[in-house]
Amino acid sequence: MPELVLTKNVGKKDSHTLGIYEQGGGYQALKKALLEMKPEDVIKEVDKSGLRGRGGAGFPAGKKWSFIPKEAPKPKYLTVNADEGEPGTFKDRVIMENDPHMLVEGSIITSYAIGIYQAYIYVRGEYTRSISRLEDAINEAYARGYLGKNILDTGYYLDMAVHPGAGAYICGEETALLESLEGKKGQPRMKPPFPAIVGLFQGPTVINNVETIACVPHIIKNGGEWFNNLGAPGVGGGIKLFPVSGHVKKPGVYELPVGTPLREIIYNYAGGVRGDKKVKAVIPGGSSAPVLKVEEIDVKMDFNSLAAIGSMMGSGAIIVMDEDTDLVKTLRILIKFYAHESCGKCTPCREGTGWMAKIITRIEKGQGESSDLDALLDIANGIRGRTLCPMGDAAAMPVQSFVTKFRGEFEDYIKRG
Amino acid sequence: MPTLVIDDQKVTVDPGTTIIQAAKKLDITIPHYCYHPRLKSVDMCRMCLVEVKDIPKLQTACSTQVRDNMVVFTNNQKVLDARRSVLEFLLINHPLDCPICDKAGECMLQDFYFQFSRHTSKFKEKKQKKHKVVNLGPKIVLDSERCILCARCVRFLKEVVGTEELGIFDRGDHSEIGIYPGRPLENNYQGNLADVCPVGALTAKDFRFACRSWFLCQENSICPGCSTGCNVLVHSSERSYDKTLRRVYRLTPRDNDEVNQSWLCDVGRYGYHFVDDPDRLTAPSLKRGEEYVKVDWDTAFREVAQRLRGIFERYSPSSLGIIPSPQLTNEDLYMVKKFFNETLCITNIDFKLPGWNQGQGDGFLLKADRNPNTMGAELLGLSGIGPQAGEIIEKTRLGEIKALYLVGSDPARYLGEEKIASALSRAQLVVFQGSNYNYACKFAHAILPGATFVEKEGTFTNAQARVQKINQALRPLGESLPDWKIILGLALTMGYYFPYKAAEDIFKDIAREVTGFSGLDYKKVGDKGIKLALSGG
Amino acid sequence: MSKGLEFSKKTKERLQAIVAKYPEKGAALLPTLWLAQREFSAITPEVEEYVAGLLGLSLVRVHEALSFYTMYTPQPLGKYHIQLCTNISCSLLGAEELLAYLKKRLNIEAGETTPDKKFTLSTVECLGYCGTAPVMRLNETFYENLTENGIDQILRKLP
Ligand SMILES: Cc1cc2nc3c(=O)[nH]c(=O)nc-3n(C[C@H](O)[C@H](O)[C@H](O)COP(=O)(O)O)c2cc1C
Ligand code: SF4
Ligand code: SF4
Ligand code: FES
Repeated sequence: MPELVLTKNVGKKDSHTLGIYEQGGGYQALKKALLEMKPEDVIKEVDKSGLRGRGGAGFPAGKKWSFIPKEAPKPKYLTVNADEGEPGTFKDRVIMENDPHMLVEGSIITSYAIGIYQAYIYVRGEYTRSISRLEDAINEAYARGYLGKNILDTGYYLDMAVHPGAGAYICGEETALLESLEGKKGQPRMKPPFPAIVGLFQGPTVINNVETIACVPHIIKNGGEWFNNLGAPGVGGGIKLFPVSGHVKKPGVYELPVGTPLREIIYNYAGGVRGDKKVKAVIPGGSSAPVLKVEEIDVKMDFNSLAAIGSMMGSGAIIVMDEDTDLVKTLRILIKFYAHESCGKCTPCREGTGWMAKIITRIEKGQGESSDLDALLDIANGIRGRTLCPMGDAAAMPVQSFVTKFRGEFEDYIKRG
Repeated sequence: MPTLVIDDQKVTVDPGTTIIQAAKKLDITIPHYCYHPRLKSVDMCRMCLVEVKDIPKLQTACSTQVRDNMVVFTNNQKVLDARRSVLEFLLINHPLDCPICDKAGECMLQDFYFQFSRHTSKFKEKKQKKHKVVNLGPKIVLDSERCILCARCVRFLKEVVGTEELGIFDRGDHSEIGIYPGRPLENNYQGNLADVCPVGALTAKDFRFACRSWFLCQENSICPGCSTGCNVLVHSSERSYDKTLRRVYRLTPRDNDEVNQSWLCDVGRYGYHFVDDPDRLTAPSLKRGEEYVKVDWDTAFREVAQRLRGIFERYSPSSLGIIPSPQLTNEDLYMVKKFFNETLCITNIDFKLPGWNQGQGDGFLLKADRNPNTMGAELLGLSGIGPQAGEIIEKTRLGEIKALYLVGSDPARYLGEEKIASALSRAQLVVFQGSNYNYACKFAHAILPGATFVEKEGTFTNAQARVQKINQALRPLGESLPDWKIILGLALTMGYYFPYKAAEDIFKDIAREVTGFSGLDYKKVGDKGIKLALSGG
Repeated sequence: MSKGLEFSKKTKERLQAIVAKYPEKGAALLPTLWLAQREFSAITPEVEEYVAGLLGLSLVRVHEALSFYTMYTPQPLGKYHIQLCTNISCSLLGAEELLAYLKKRLNIEAGETTPDKKFTLSTVECLGYCGTAPVMRLNETFYENLTENGIDQILRKLP
């Protein structure tokens, strides 16, 4: 197995402190970037690395940065998305708790590359430890001259702050996050204008996931090509964190090449299914990703392979359900989650998720009717592709995939009453 | 300039135009809720989704800007499906209130449902319970269950009025519109909330349960509440439907980019109640001893004419005083000037009672000058000929003026009752001509009932010197007559003939004789008015 | 504004430092509400007015935020706030059984506070500890790999 990149310090004593981070080569990449590289070169290197966003949409990071106008009437911002709310996902927390400086260093390099002088890390409110570790790390970085004025005597300056959320999954959506950062309720903005042009406080803004940014120091230190080659042969795109949960023997975050087959992750790394039961269903990319049947788990865990079978990589969070799992209850939990987290701004998601939640709850209570499954699909179709932000799709996809792929089980449940 | 095709029709529009605006140019209405032409687009309701060729997802017509060669479909199956589905979503939690809802008949939910959906609901669950009959302030009531959360109300207050008095609280399908608890609406533009609300969630207390909207006729007019002259629609009915015997049910704003955009202030909007107030003067009356007796117009004219002539003959024109009101139309005021000043040579004519233009403005629509036609009165020369109105009253008190003729004016409002009592009680003749009783009537020897702004035709000239037209929505109450007609009748009785049959005829003479108005054509004043080209501002 | 309600000197200093991080004062609303909740234990109407005044925001804007985010509480909660995750990964490993157990043990429903104001029990969405499910957050501490026995031990140790 190749050497770990993002999680090599996990579990080490005091791994979150500046001292330990520097001992392991921390902030070398920052020095390289600021002292030896032009901002454009940093972007080029990241472009070469094949790094795609780890927050869900998988947008190529280097390309995203290149959309930011060089000159703008308002200041530019970096916002790191540490809202990590997608059910099944717990990888960003592992980075922030164990290696906060990796994120800080990545954020400084990213800001330098784009000509940004203020960065915010938006951390979900529940992550108290991540928040304090990041705050400590930022303070240490200021003290050591990695943040603030005249960083490493280059004249470049950057301020960084942690912004705590307060309980709203939708704030992980990038424009809702910006609203929340501006001190408003977290409701997505319409696009255009895109955040790259008009974002935080009206300025051009880059929004990236924690894991995405955490890859940056390594890419700068070892080169884009090196990172790209860490991906599975023929796939590339580096390594990725796969949080595995559910009915597996060894749940946890696994750092593996992009393109590792799902089956391998479940059986070789997560130890297989508890009680050696059979797999019934697997969600491959966080709760929003369409569920897979056991026949589909040979898929490679990369953006294109998952899309090809109608699912998605999302956050890479793998949720394994064994043969005894009650899928009616599981779908009820998911739908209720989306209904609870719908921001309420646009009609189909606001009304549709609540309606679906009522139907599935009724089914679970044994009061389902045969027409209910078509009603669920009809509502999901009514939401899909018609909402203001991608949350509508996120809510519709589990319903469509569960009900279509496991229709027999749902019908039997309704018949049993 | 981009040219695009919408439903097989070509249209060329300015860059930056949205699909919904471009479609409007072709008379294609794209259904919408959250979109309002005077508010920023927010993409919330999703009702306006249309298909744009080569884009897989439907696009919001309210915010998507046109591009050259764009091809848009507003009515194909994909679009109709989406529209039907949005309507279904909006209706699942909507109560079956139409039979008792004030908005019925002009509700965008009702209308689009009948036009595009007519589905039988597959919704079998319990509807979301929300607050009903919530008092938002002195003017507006909210029914949250009817609300479709388009945020037009919130945005109107924020973007237009500049107050953040309404918000959407909670989230998901628990979201509810509201004020901050215990902080009722205080702004002067609340009435617009009932207009911008596309459904019956926000209703005006003034109109609640008063009348079904389809029983009402609508007529273009101008708000008489201040010198802004907001363009309005008068909603009225000759037959009254409620116990207050009102015939006017509401004023709503009429679009005019140059004047009031799409808004009205509450002072003006709710100021119409004088039209059907019990204090309306409805028959000519003459004082006989301590009593007033109703008489017909001929008798009234004869008596007033005779007494005026008597004073004229005994004294001189300077023993007569006329105080007209800037509430009168240009045509009314022209007749006042033409007859009293130019014909009878009276120079004690003036409309500027002390403080006449000193109300409270609000910096937006409402002006300190609460008269719709100050500019007209000024241009027609109803001030500056002789003494000011205050002096006319004073001269009456001193006995220099023996006969005082009030045309629509209410001097006690500005000078106080005591002053008016001491002045008017000394006059040998007081004629009051106007629509509603006021303190001066107590001293009148003759009362000549005038019609209100909804009962006559004519023009006002607002503070920006825009000539705007009022139209007759109702028959004059009782025997009241438009003021110009009263003066015409009096003049005729005194032997002076003016060949006017309609306000338009007078307007022609105004356009011929009065600088500033020259060359204007009554027809061309139209619905939006015409700005006078005045030299020196 | 109600008199008497005021941040301590230390909190005021923290607030100043927070506000300084943003180009607009209003952006500090969420962190300020956090300070207020810690100091006053709930965001009551008086607190809303105080915060609105501090940041120059409308009451509506503050109230919108308060009602939108789930972690702010308009009323004081019990001394110990137990937030049990009932989302998918925790539920696959028995969170709903643990919920039943907690309800029975505390003799309250989810969303309620015990009469002695010691415990408030809430169910919450995914807490981001799916790898060590089931999990609960007790005030600011997370307890992972929960079992009924584990819950007993945790609750017993509380002062
Ligand atoms: C409903 C919803 C929730 C999201 N939650 C998160 C999240 O918790 N963390 C995250 O990084 N991205 C989240 N995203 C994706 C972000 O919108 C955005 O794409 C991402 O932060 C971009 O960063 P990346 O390019 O590095 O992935 C979410 C998106 C949606 C629609
Ligand atoms: S899709 Fe849902 S979360 Fe997104 S804007 Fe609409 S209501 Fe809000
Ligand atoms: S009250 Fe009316 S205007 Fe306001 S959000 Fe509801 S439907 Fe829209
Ligand atoms: S009118 Fe376009 S989204 Fe509402």
